[in-house]
Amino acid sequence: MTDRWMDRLSEYLDGELPTTDRAALEAHLETCSNCSALLADLRRVVDRAQGVEEYLPKRDLWPGIASRIGATPAAAPQIARRWSFSMPQLAAAAIFLMTLSGGTVWLLRSSALSPTTGPVATAPAPTLAPVTVNAPGNSASQSYSAAIADLERVLAGGRGRLDTTTVRVIEQNLAAIDRAIAQAQQALMADPANLYLNTHLAETMRRKLDLLRQAATLVPVS
Amino acid sequence: MTELGLGVVTLAYEQTGRPDSDAVDATLAASGDASAFERLYRHHLPRVYSLVRRMLNDEDADEVTQDVFVRAWQKLGTFRGEAAFGTWLHRLAVNVILARRETLGTRRKRYLEGDAVLETLPTRRPGPELAMDFESAMERLPDGAKEVFVLHDVEGYRHEEIAEMLGLATGTSKSQLHRARLALRRHLER
Repeated sequence: MTDRWMDRLSEYLDGELPTTDRAALEAHLETCSNCSALLADLRRVVDRAQGVEEYLPKRDLWPGIASRIGATPAAAPQIARRWSFSMPQLAAAAIFLMTLSGGTVWLLRSSALSPTTGPVATAPAPTLAPVTVNAPGNSASQSYSAAIADLERVLAGGRGRLDTTTVRVIEQNLAAIDRAIAQAQQALMADPANLYLNTHLAETMRRKLDLLRQAATLVPVS
Repeated sequence: MTELGLGVVTLAYEQTGRPDSDAVDATLAASGDASAFERLYRHHLPRVYSLVRRMLNDEDADEVTQDVFVRAWQKLGTFRGEAAFGTWLHRLAVNVILARRETLGTRRKRYLEGDAVLETLPTRRPGPELAMDFESAMERLPDGAKEVFVLHDVEGYRHEEIAEMLGLATGTSKSQLHRARLALRRHLER
């Protein structure tokens, strides 16, 4: 019932047989129903293994970990913060982002008020004004830009005191976010009322702000 | 417009993709930010816990999983971002699990040769009352075959990596895997 190929079937299945052996085994499989059946079973075992579900613990393991690493809800990072956030600027930036979100909500609601949806259809259809992201003269936009510039200055000033890997990771992420912002802005020029793009741009700008804030906290005291 | 569309897809990935977030969180955690480390923990817990449970047992899974994350916290300074954080963490988890195995002192004979692996599992008989599900059958494999099977077929490691982790010859890893598969095929759900 067994033959010399039976012990090679897993290697065959995993693509690890040398070419010549592979060809010989394939020829053998055409005539050996036992090996063919076994190969099918082994393939099912592999498929089954790859489809197993993930387990989760019955209790939250984090408190035990937090206790062992010395983390408490009030625990401060080990590196002291040299920089305190420019709250007025961050507040203004937050308002700017909220404005964007508000614009999105308005757009969503406006979209819901479709002229074809019964009684509301008699109401005048709202004009879908583009959200003025980064529009010149928009004071909230200017505040956002100022907050970003301020954080970037802090980061640039502390760059020499950060680990090079840290700087690389931060710069890679900032570059990715900047690309995302530029692409979203470009897309919005073609489709100013697009809900996805407006939401996406607001979230991406928020992400940049968050990343810069986090990165600024990494700068050690000089 | 096509380029624009592709760009938007890229944006969505860059914004939500975990690898980016993991790298930032790992950097923050390495500087002592426990909340960033908790985010990493929450995201990677299912895979780490599943690995621990399958390679050890249900009884020790909670404690060893905590050991893995405590160890990760201690070793974060060695994470250089050359591989994904998840890859680094997973490899560290395997090391912690193997070290724990050594201290448990209750291990079964590890690398059984030939048909001995097959004999560790009772033959599945017809009837639900005697049926052993696939997970249970996996648990019943001898430790050596189970380690290789879980690492290769469940976790996707290559034989060369497994051989290095477990201190085996690559050929031993392959033969243990084949024996484990032969044993488990009798416990496939029909």
